[in-house]
Amino acid sequence: MTLQFPIKSDTSKKIWSAFERELNHKLKPLPESERDDIKMEILSHLYESALNDKANSEENRIINAIDRLGEPDLYLTPLIEDILQAQSAAEGQPKAIVLSLLKTTQKSLWHLALTAIFAFGYFISIIIFIMGIMHIFNSNVGIWLDDNGGLLSLSFSFQPDAIQWMPEQFSFIAITLSAFTYWGLSKLLYLLFLKPKKLGFKQ
Amino acid sequence: MLPDQIIDRWLPQFRKGLLEFIILLKLQQGMSYGYEIASEIKHLTSIEVAEGTLYPLLNRLKRDGLVTTEWKTEDIGTPRKYYQITKTGIETLDKMKLIWTNTHSSVLKMVMQS
Repeated sequence: MTLQFPIKSDTSKKIWSAFERELNHKLKPLPESERDDIKMEILSHLYESALNDKANSEENRIINAIDRLGEPDLYLTPLIEDILQAQSAAEGQPKAIVLSLLKTTQKSLWHLALTAIFAFGYFISIIIFIMGIMHIFNSNVGIWLDDNGGLLSLSFSFQPDAIQWMPEQFSFIAITLSAFTYWGLSKLLYLLFLKPKKLGFKQ
Repeated sequence: MLPDQIIDRWLPQFRKGLLEFIILLKLQQGMSYGYEIASEIKHLTSIEVAEGTLYPLLNRLKRDGLVTTEWKTEDIGTPRKYYQITKTGIETLDKMKLIWTNTHSSVLKMVMQS
């Protein structure tokens, strides 16, 4: 806490310090001069916002001011990305370019992994669902376990050296589980990628 | 997709562009700082801003050379980072005003006809 922001009560000091620590942590990727500049600007805003707040106690005024600023990630992430990107482009340093490429690659790999996981999940849930339906008409369709090692396989026909897994309940389990998995994957997909991102502009 | 979901997606984009315009309009009246800009936007428009989100916009305006900044310490003792519109900023704002006026009239006409 700096002398420029005189906070009186101990509780307020703790809240202020916690917020300042969070800023320090999140601003770490930036060079020191940029970091100090942004931190000072945010803290200056916070202090003035708290001064003008109508709440009775200093603690509540600071909490309200932090709340009005919004989630730090909401404004610091785009700010940091913008500054770093501008610096990399301006400097044209090989290290900056490599770091930027690594970051992009990391993001692409992450997206590729998620796409593979979701595609596999959907594929399996649809296959199991179809097998569940088919099992009603053909009892050989189902999951078969190898006699020796218990190796699991999905099969549409009778397997001579294997035992069928729960043939009586297979249709029910397969249809229920696959429908639930399909719903879960869709919900997860929506939450991760399709849900409108909160940009901080409220109605 | 439901109309509300579409509005949820459209509104932030619409407001984001509008906010840069509003910030430049405010700075054309004189230099100002983050908290004051945020308060004025809340006071004068129906746009309620999560105040922190102004800073990425202000940073972009600075990077694009539309504003400059200067730290000043006020009587109350707190330092404030003031933003001042540049010549390029004023030229850009004039173009934005023209686009806004034309678009606004056209859209208003279409809304009235619908």
